[in-house]
Amino acid sequence: MNARATPAAVAPEAAGTGPPATLIAALARNARDHGGTTAIRERELGLWRERSWHDLHGEVLALAAGLEELGVGPDTAVTIIGDNRASLYAAMLAANVLRAFSAPVFADVPPAELELYTRHGEPAVAFAEDQEQVDKLLDLRSSIGRPRHIVYDDPRGLAQSTAAGLVPYAKLIEQGRARLAAVPGLAADLEGRSRPDDIAILMHSSGTTGTPKGIAIRQRNAVAAAWSGGCAGAFATGEDTFAYLPIAWVGDYLLSIAAALVMRFTINIPERQETAMLDLRAVAPTLYLAAPRAWDAMLTRVQVGIADSTPLKRALFNFFMPRAIAMERRRLAGEAPSARDELVRRVGEAVIFAPLKDYLGLSRARHAFTGGEALGEDTFLFFRALGIKLTQLYGQTETCAMTAIQFADDVRLDTVGRPLPGVEIKLGDDGEILVRSQSTVDGYFNDPAATAKAFTGDGWLRTGDAGAIEPDGQLVVYGRVSEVVHTAAGDRYIPNYLENRIKFSPYIRNLAVLGAGKPWLAAIVCIDREAVGHWAEQRGLAYSSFAELSQLPQVCELVRNSLDDINRQLSAPLRIRRFVNLHKDFDADDGEITRTRKLRRTVVEERYAPLIAALYAGAEHADVEITITYENGTTGAFARRLALADVADAAFEDRAIPVRLGNGAQRQAMEGR
Amino acid sequence: MFYRQAGIRYTSYPAERQLWPLGIERVLMGLILALALIAPALLSPLLLSSYLLPWVIWSIAALGLNLLMGGAGQIHLGYAAVMAIGAYSATHAARAGLPFELSLLVAGLASAVIGVIFGAAALRIRGLYLAIATLAMQYIVDFAIGHIPAISGGTQATVATPTPRILGIPVEGPVGGYYIALVVCIVVTLFMLNLRRTSFGRALAAIREKDYAAEILGISAFRYKLMAFWTSSFIGGVAGAILVFCYYRSVSPEQFHLETSVQLVAMVIVGGLGSVLGTFLGAALILLAPLALSALVASLASSGLPIGSDLRAHLPLVLYGALIVGFLIAEPLGLAKLYDNARKYLLVWPFRHARS
Repeated sequence: MNARATPAAVAPEAAGTGPPATLIAALARNARDHGGTTAIRERELGLWRERSWHDLHGEVLALAAGLEELGVGPDTAVTIIGDNRASLYAAMLAANVLRAFSAPVFADVPPAELELYTRHGEPAVAFAEDQEQVDKLLDLRSSIGRPRHIVYDDPRGLAQSTAAGLVPYAKLIEQGRARLAAVPGLAADLEGRSRPDDIAILMHSSGTTGTPKGIAIRQRNAVAAAWSGGCAGAFATGEDTFAYLPIAWVGDYLLSIAAALVMRFTINIPERQETAMLDLRAVAPTLYLAAPRAWDAMLTRVQVGIADSTPLKRALFNFFMPRAIAMERRRLAGEAPSARDELVRRVGEAVIFAPLKDYLGLSRARHAFTGGEALGEDTFLFFRALGIKLTQLYGQTETCAMTAIQFADDVRLDTVGRPLPGVEIKLGDDGEILVRSQSTVDGYFNDPAATAKAFTGDGWLRTGDAGAIEPDGQLVVYGRVSEVVHTAAGDRYIPNYLENRIKFSPYIRNLAVLGAGKPWLAAIVCIDREAVGHWAEQRGLAYSSFAELSQLPQVCELVRNSLDDINRQLSAPLRIRRFVNLHKDFDADDGEITRTRKLRRTVVEERYAPLIAALYAGAEHADVEITITYENGTTGAFARRLALADVADAAFEDRAIPVRLGNGAQRQAMEGR
Repeated sequence: MFYRQAGIRYTSYPAERQLWPLGIERVLMGLILALALIAPALLSPLLLSSYLLPWVIWSIAALGLNLLMGGAGQIHLGYAAVMAIGAYSATHAARAGLPFELSLLVAGLASAVIGVIFGAAALRIRGLYLAIATLAMQYIVDFAIGHIPAISGGTQATVATPTPRILGIPVEGPVGGYYIALVVCIVVTLFMLNLRRTSFGRALAAIREKDYAAEILGISAFRYKLMAFWTSSFIGGVAGAILVFCYYRSVSPEQFHLETSVQLVAMVIVGGLGSVLGTFLGAALILLAPLALSALVASLASSGLPIGSDLRAHLPLVLYGALIVGFLIAEPLGLAKLYDNARKYLLVWPFRHARS
């Protein structure tokens, strides 16, 4: 079964002749043809500082000239660590100019894990956003001797530092400019070095199943990914984008670097991660990509705000929103809206939807994507009902995030869309989705064993996702092949799918659905601190910590009702029968989720094995003691008695356990270090 | 609900301090300005000369008084006297052959000089005592005008104003007068809107809050109080001149008695201290409400309601008083605050309050 059903590709008008050979060529082209256009807009002390393509081009070349003096050469890595900063993006490109590659690291990686992300490509130079990251890198150097040079962007707290090899970003630029001025012809020489086969960036797999593998995206992969996105109409020339996603995630690389250069975007960078949502409103991007959890968080913000609003406004929201969602659901099912529906939608647009889009900063978003994992259907419908043309982007780090996309006029709820132009998709024998395209990498970095496992001899990548191809070419993704599980009763389900459905409730932030080899399904629930905290405040419920809040009987009831609502929409075997409110949220530092916030199911199942056993044994309480890891790497013990509860539902005919709630008896002990 | 804030971003601090950052407010201002410009074509001459023209002129005067009361926190119960000085000096200057434009300047300067002399009292006294001192100004000026025939032409005399000439071209009729008043009004409004963005405006605000504290901050209360009286009196003088040239077309002492001063103070307080928009609303309420209410009562009486002729004369005044008291009870900070409340309600729509 081999599907190449792709709508007629339209070449993006930016191109003229065709895609540039490399990202550096694209940068030079933009600087030459559109030197005055804004390339990067970065918020600094409340103001949006602009860099034109001409400025950026000059900055990158100067940086490259400076970097070369620090010893960066072809096929070496340059570590990049920090939140989104224009200087870090420029550093990524400067490394490419020298035929070296950047290896970005998540800003919140603890010092102990840093070594994992810097083991490839002998990085001698690292770019750090601020003092915090510099300290981590200095720690790393004391243990493994690398990196020799650390270039930092924000000088705060570093003025007095005497550590060897610390270079302020501004100084490196200055040295580079001096060198460019001193050596005639160096600029042209630098500009012409990059080759399509060079590695552009070294990404790391998210590590849901172990230590992260290095994924070397080459220049030609990055350009092909951006080009096919442009051909598919996923984005147009000159979009305004918002660069707030982790720089070590392929989604950010695709939009903020690859597509931004090839399609000449304006990249808007927020002041800090904490101000990102406010800055989003100031930017009002035309192209916006967010992970499902970010869409869920946005939805929660709206729901909490509406719950807290005045009766009139709440009533208006409650009148228009469900109707718009129902209409959108019918529309996606292929029904044309009636004139009355259309009228209701228009009034709703004026009264509720447009102000909400304005509030969220998505009023200008022509292209909105969700990617990284599956988005809950209800969240998806909510935003589409608002009038945001939210579509799914399906891809892997290995394909530079571009495998399939929902085309604007062809969105179905149960599929992730069609393969992008130039992308071939077929199914393996076990239903695994296989991909081959220009944007797919050749293999894992220095890991022939893993490469042989994931790639077939003729260039197909095993995605590890189970799926199906519909007769009309639409791709359906069920979930990870390794995640399709069966209950003891033989019911097949994908925990991730259920989890995303349940996370539509504003009160539930994370959860793990259990049931592999068990008679029925249960869940470990992590409440949403903000939403539930607000809910508790309004009802005068006192609590002093997340743990205490999670164990309030009323909160237990609240979660039970949320689960009950979802249960009603699911077939009987897929219903959650028991649950526990966990006394902490899942945390990447504890290894329960990855840095991109995907659940590490095996870790959770091992860590909470006694709790799970108690859930299935029908106990009312379970004493849980776990080790938690603090941000600085130290650990502590966290013990608590948790209440286990059933989900009330008359539909469970074979109910053996009566409905009951745990009492408030709790024991808490926090022992430091 | 109607306000859109997405996509507003600043690349410089001056841009961040612009008057109307929201697009819809810029559109609204443009619309109001356009309406004001084509008003003579839209309204009947009666409406123009008896409603719109006085509104514009009294708004200029109230803006000047609001600079003093709302901006610098100094009360003035003799503002009509300030206007009178302007009205008489402009009239005499114009009759002596000075061009109209220069006469306006003379009016402003004369008012400013005399206003500053009385304002100097504010350097030593404040609050009720300053109110009495400015009240004294009202009576002294009234007395001086009435008893110096060289100014008033005699106790009961009325001095006709010459036809104003702009660059030598005579401007006649209510329409011409309206445009002169409108231009002056726009200039004064722009000045007032920008005032709070200047160091002068900030110094006045500091003095308004506490003059001791302002001194400690290094703001010379002496200098800025006198400057406040100077500027405010200048605007008052020009407003007085416009009033007699464009509206009354003659000048007499009874146009500027204490009652007028109190009305001006009422405009500022009902409108909202320190608010430009409020000043316009306050002037409209104080000036137009009595007219509208008498018209209403008259039409009710003629439609057959049993309203006696006594009641017919007094009912509008009763309603007028009730209206002012009602507005101030509903919102002690004035009409501007009512508008602000509505604006904020729509600004955070559909939420209850601003959310981050």
